[in-house]
Amino acid sequence: MDKLARKYLRARKIPSTACSGCGLGQCHKALVKALADLDYEVDDIIWGTSIGCSGRQTFATWNGDNFAGTHGRVYPIARGLRIAMPDDMKIILTVGDGDAFGIGFNHVLHSARTNTQMTVLVCDNLGYQSTGGQFGWTTPPGIVTDSSPYGMSEPNWVQPDMDVLKILKEAGATFLARHVSMDGAALVETLKKAVQNNGFSLVHTVFPCTTNFAKNALGSRNAVNIFNWIKDRAAPLGEETEDTIWRTGVYHDASNSRPEFSQALKKQVSDIQRRFQDEGSH
Amino acid sequence: MKRYLETGNFAITEGAILAGCRLFAGYPITPATEIAEAMSINLPRVGGYYVQAEDECAAMHMAVGAASGGLKTMTATSGPGFILYADPYGWAIGCEIPIVVLNSQRVGPVSGITGAPGQGEFYNSRYPTQGGNYETIVLAPNSAQEAMELTIEAFYLSERFRTPVTVLADQLITDGLEDISVPETDEEKEAMGLRFAEREFHKGPEFYPPTDEIDVPPVVLGKNTGAMCSDWTPTEEGYDIETVEAHHKHSYRMIYKIRNNKDIITRYETLFVDDDPDIIAVSYGTPSRSVKTAVKKAREKGLKIGMIRPISLWPFPDELFSQKTKYLVVELDYDGQMVREVKRAAPGGSEIHFFGKCGELPTVVEMHETFDKLLNNEPLRPEGWEKEAW
Repeated sequence: MDKLARKYLRARKIPSTACSGCGLGQCHKALVKALADLDYEVDDIIWGTSIGCSGRQTFATWNGDNFAGTHGRVYPIARGLRIAMPDDMKIILTVGDGDAFGIGFNHVLHSARTNTQMTVLVCDNLGYQSTGGQFGWTTPPGIVTDSSPYGMSEPNWVQPDMDVLKILKEAGATFLARHVSMDGAALVETLKKAVQNNGFSLVHTVFPCTTNFAKNALGSRNAVNIFNWIKDRAAPLGEETEDTIWRTGVYHDASNSRPEFSQALKKQVSDIQRRFQDEGSH
Repeated sequence: MKRYLETGNFAITEGAILAGCRLFAGYPITPATEIAEAMSINLPRVGGYYVQAEDECAAMHMAVGAASGGLKTMTATSGPGFILYADPYGWAIGCEIPIVVLNSQRVGPVSGITGAPGQGEFYNSRYPTQGGNYETIVLAPNSAQEAMELTIEAFYLSERFRTPVTVLADQLITDGLEDISVPETDEEKEAMGLRFAEREFHKGPEFYPPTDEIDVPPVVLGKNTGAMCSDWTPTEEGYDIETVEAHHKHSYRMIYKIRNNKDIITRYETLFVDDDPDIIAVSYGTPSRSVKTAVKKAREKGLKIGMIRPISLWPFPDELFSQKTKYLVVELDYDGQMVREVKRAAPGGSEIHFFGKCGELPTVVEMHETFDKLLNNEPLRPEGWEKEAW
């Protein structure tokens, strides 16, 4: 364990039980690095996780308070918890692409609408990999998976004309970004901005799955192949080429421009309470 | 004491706020909508929060999420919403988080008849989520007043047992206008037999002891205890683990903390059961009111008929059915649900009969006709039915 891990993570869970060559650790480390750069202490964060590779492998890694939600429902749990927990703590969620853009998408939209403080790091391994490798809502066209054996024929939500981040922007999210896990320092800088937004932030980060995605899509479990395959198809916004699938960078930054859900609610409740106490009526 | 002529929905909100409920997560559904409305008016006045979610699944998740942050919380719905509680109900059972759930039963399945009473969620309330390996606590009122009192009791039990408690009402209770007395002083609360428990938080570092102990406070996030709160099978510390041994310990706790402390939960009403009655009528919720009138009038005519009304439905009070006699189970459903439990609990040689109706209460006349048939050993033939199924 390095210095960062010793302070912020639990020895019991690091290294995680992720497959050899999995890129999830890059996402995880970037987030912990961002929190360290911002001088957060363990006690400043409540860390929530979903299910699947991204949720399971990051659950109870944080050296402070942790929770794991049911499939796709970690967002309404966080919205309720946000009201009950101390105002000066932050909610961090590490979830997968199926959880955020599939089963939990309706809840994500309403978390964006209400601008509830949560930094959602969507760790995207391009489909449902912990169940063996079925296609998801970001699987690129033509890709062979266990449930698209003749190639992915449906459109997906990273296409320029139907980007999930556009939907979330219209839904009210106040910070939105996309990266690939090998973006390193750039990803850390984006996550630092995301965490500092007192509202709904979502950072979509694609990472390589060697075991199932790479085996089906590239015919190889060699980690170098899938790392290069993703890297070659990613480019910063404005530097796209014809082959670019993932345009990386900050898509939308309206940080701290709208009231945060729980704080707005608490203010309203305190005003109402004062009014009725003054009137002495019920 | 404050007196009202009000709905059960109103009475339930009064009970919840008295019990310390400070967050209610709602989603509009007939006939429980007015609970959400009354909560949205009254909770902010005491510093509490009303939140409305995108669906019932999210509503209960918000309520359980807030409960995991240390608030006493509640949600309320009817059958079509209750099935969407399956996810968060399981999360609360597995994480052992206290929360109160109210289900005002209407006529189902699915949308059915919205503005009429049913009792189709007798078993659904026992198995509100998947997977097994748990016991559930369910309380069933038969009046607006009792709905208020059992809502308070539900908060009390949920704290002591670290688990969701369902108040299983029906449309007549929640929509009906009745005389309601709301206690104000401690003496009045005590005179009504009301019990209260404060929220405390588990200081860790272990998750929960692998025993049947109650009164171990629930995990609360945001207290810097290093809490690990999840629906994964936990180690004794709270880490996720996939071993049968860990799951056996976890299951033992979820099942036996309730089974071994059932005496704290069990509630019932009996009438004329001590003189070896020829028939014992069994009913819960609103039909028990017309059944009770029918039994009293039958006694006036000299018929030896008694009555059992389970108030705590789960764990099912088997011990009430110790007499070998004829049981007539009266329910607001046609398929027969509680009758199966009575059949299981009653001694061998007992006769088990079923009277089912849905959307409206059985009448006293219908009950008397049914008593007469049973006393004369005539078969019960529900209208349009081939034969009685039991």
